[in-house]
Amino acid sequence: MSGTIILDNEAVQALSAVSHPKHRRALALLDVDNQRARRRAGEATAVLVPVAVRIEAGWDRTHPRAALVNSLSRARDVTLGTPRANHATQLKVTLGVSVVDATIAETAQRAPRPIRILTSDTSDMTMIAAHLNREIRVITL
Amino acid sequence: MAIEESPLGELIDALGRLETETDTTVTSVRLPVALRQALGVALELGLDTNFNEATTKALRERVELFAQRLALDAHYRVHPHARPNLVELAQAAAELDGDPLAEEPALIERAAGELSKTHPDASADDVLIYAAALRAHRVNA
Repeated sequence: MSGTIILDNEAVQALSAVSHPKHRRALALLDVDNQRARRRAGEATAVLVPVAVRIEAGWDRTHPRAALVNSLSRARDVTLGTPRANHATQLKVTLGVSVVDATIAETAQRAPRPIRILTSDTSDMTMIAAHLNREIRVITL
Repeated sequence: MAIEESPLGELIDALGRLETETDTTVTSVRLPVALRQALGVALELGLDTNFNEATTKALRERVELFAQRLALDAHYRVHPHARPNLVELAQAAAELDGDPLAEEPALIERAAGELSKTHPDASADDVLIYAAALRAHRVNA
C-alpha cells in the first residue's frame, strides 16, 4: 500500500452526488491516485472510511442511491473493535472532538503512511493531525 | 443501463461483499516457479503471514483499482462536466504528495497549459515535473 486516504463526511457527500459543488474536486483526488496506482502496479493507496462517517453521511452500501459512491470511491470500511473503540473514546475526550472525528483520528493513528484526510473540516482535522504527530496531510475539499 | 444493473455493477457488488462474506473457495493458479519461490522468501521476510493472504491482498487491490477506473470512466461518459481536467488532476496530485507546488496553482496551470500543447497525453505527474522545472528556472533567473 502506498499510504492512505481517509474520507470524512463531506468527502462522502461530494462523491455521492454529481450536483455537489465539490464532486469534481473529490473525483480529481481519487482519480489521480487511481492513475498513479495503476502505473506502479502493486502500490495501491488504501482508501478508508470509518463506519461512523458512513453512518453520518447516510451511506448504506446496499441502497441503490449508494451505487455512485460505492463504485467511485474504492473505500473500505474501518470498524472498531473494543480496543480501538476505547482508543477512539480517549481521543474524543483528549481532543474534544465529535464521535465521528474521533473515529477518523483513530483510523489515522493506525493507517499506513502517508495519510491524507479529505475533509471540509480543516481546523479540527489539523488539530487531530498535530496531536497524532504522524505524517498526516489534511486536504481541503 | 444503470451501473447497478451492468457488469460493472456486478463487479462492484462482488467487491462490496468482500466486507461481509467470509466464504472462500479453492482455486488452482499456475504461477511461474521463480515467483512462487520469491513469494515464499518474501513471506519469510514479513511480506504477509501466508501465501493466501499475500495473493488475496494483491488480487483484491488490482481488481478494486480496475473497477474504480471503469467506474470513473463510465461516470465521465454520462457526466462529462464531472471529469477533472489536467490542471485539477495535477493540483490534486501535488496536494496528495504534500508538494510545495500545491501552493502555486498558477504555476501548475501554466505548466499544464504549456505541456499539453506538445504532449497531449501528459499525466498529472508530468505536469508537476514541468512545474518544478519552471520554478527552478524562475529561482535561478
